[in-house]
Amino acid sequence: MTQKKMTTTFNYDFIQRTLRTTGIVVLFLSVIGLYYFPPYDILAFLTAGVWSIINMLFLSALVRTVLRPDNIDKMSAMVLMMVKFPLLYATAYFIFTTELFRPIPIVVGISMILIVMVLKAFSRVMLGLDETNQDEQEIQSNHKNQLRSVA
Amino acid sequence: MDYHTGLAIAAPIAIGMAAIGSGLGLGKAVGSAMEAMGRQPEAIAKIQVGMMIGAAFIEALTIYALLAFLLVMGDIAG
Repeated sequence: MTQKKMTTTFNYDFIQRTLRTTGIVVLFLSVIGLYYFPPYDILAFLTAGVWSIINMLFLSALVRTVLRPDNIDKMSAMVLMMVKFPLLYATAYFIFTTELFRPIPIVVGISMILIVMVLKAFSRVMLGLDETNQDEQEIQSNHKNQLRSVA
Repeated sequence: MDYHTGLAIAAPIAIGMAAIGSGLGLGKAVGSAMEAMGRQPEAIAKIQVGMMIGAAFIEALTIYALLAFLLVMGDIAG
């Protein structure tokens, strides 16, 4: 009998799925919100949401490129840093300081990716998806070990 | 000291503290992640993804502080 272990298997696919889900949620809420809120608020929400997705894309690329013990691609790291820090943050400054957008929709738009990330992680734990994978892996490894011992 | 002067002194100090806190947090997270990668090279993918999520949250908190500062900047101008 295998003992169940609760583990969270976050891999690169988790980030990709989070970005995709955030994009869909932001677009969906923008369309729905057009009926209830002023257009500039929706535009601010959409802009901040898209900015946060691009920011997360660059952040994940930067972490994958730079934060590793070996084989660091210095050229890619430099390009990513040059795009993320001056360009992306200058865009954020423009979004924050423009007179068209109110701050609350911007905050909500930026927070969408964090909300999606937390809910996805929470639902994985609640549904026990990683637990099932762990059990399947254990069953497969046990099966392989049995086959090896027979052979 | 009137309201605007107090705000003009407090707001930059507050955002500076937020930036220092985020910097310290991110530095500790990166340091721990590198240490963990060195100890367990086979778990690099998991550590990096955890690092990405942590960095995103820390960065978002700094952005909130910046937004709060920009909000009160209008009051400072009077």
